[in-house]
Amino acid sequence: MIRTLAAFLLAPLLLGVFFGAVVDPQALPFVGSERISAVFLLDGQAYFGHLDDSPFSGTIVLRDVYYLNDASKVTTDYPVGLVKRGNELHQPVDVMYIRRDKVVAIERVTLTSPVGQAIASQRSLDRAAAR
Amino acid sequence: MSVRSERDVARRARDVAIRIPRRTATVLTILLVAIAVLVVIFGLAAIAAANAPRSLAGSAEMRIQQTAAEKDIERAYEQAADQVAKVRALNLAITTPQADQIANKAQSELKTLRHNAFVALGQAQGLAAADAEQHAVAAEGRFGTALPKEPAPSPVLLAPRYYAIVSRMSELATQLADQATTQLTAPASQPPQPSPSPSGSPRPSPSPSPTR
Repeated sequence: MIRTLAAFLLAPLLLGVFFGAVVDPQALPFVGSERISAVFLLDGQAYFGHLDDSPFSGTIVLRDVYYLNDASKVTTDYPVGLVKRGNELHQPVDVMYIRRDKVVAIERVTLTSPVGQAIASQRSLDRAAAR
Repeated sequence: MSVRSERDVARRARDVAIRIPRRTATVLTILLVAIAVLVVIFGLAAIAAANAPRSLAGSAEMRIQQTAAEKDIERAYEQAADQVAKVRALNLAITTPQADQIANKAQSELKTLRHNAFVALGQAQGLAAADAEQHAVAAEGRFGTALPKEPAPSPVLLAPRYYAIVSRMSELATQLADQATTQLTAPASQPPQPSPSPSGSPRPSPSPSPTR
């Protein structure tokens, strides 16, 4: 009786508690709208993209990465400009591994924020250019 | 006789068959199940990544972006043109025809630069070359009078493709204005340099590339 109780109640309960503690329900796939994350590093740099944050890994993975560039000498509304990662001299592929111990904070980007809208506009431009 | 031979055949078959211990079979089954679970997990992850929702900007947002980029280009043009005009208005050491020639050339090159930036904006939207040219002429017409002085309702962070064009435009316009300023304020004995173009060509066509 006790063994049956343990098998059918206690084990699922423990598993539920464990995964509930380590899994962000909003980060589950096939759920909700697009999720863009902002990753702030110790050196002050911030990167935006789709975050793959496995709790059992020493690194986090960002895809479709954007970052802010100094635009104080450019005649834009903001003193920063959004740049898509990939056009650097080494032309990195669209994935970025970041050591977890270099991360200060990870935040979700609101899709209606300036960064969210700029990324959405870039995608529309990419799509228009591909046609 | 035949029954006996059938028993012999069955016994030989049992002797020949490979016997797998039950424990090994259990371990193998668990391994296979674990591999199947991993394949399912990674397959689901790949499908989820491939089908992750991507937000796209609507026409209204794209219009806001385009207008902001055009204003930024016009702002860069006007700042550079103002700089040249202000320096030209000073009492200069060089002769008046020389100063006029330098200033007019700089203003002309700045207009070419602005035109090319507007064309690049049109091309960034996927317009064909002819359509992008029309788009540039229309944008120049809109800004033909004066840049509206009132600030935009809210500041706009440009999409990277637009930002690259505006950034390049600002950089080149500043270079052109600075070179014209240097030539205008040169001592009288020093003849003006032949070309204020950043590229060194007689007729500059600095085209801000969207894929900078």
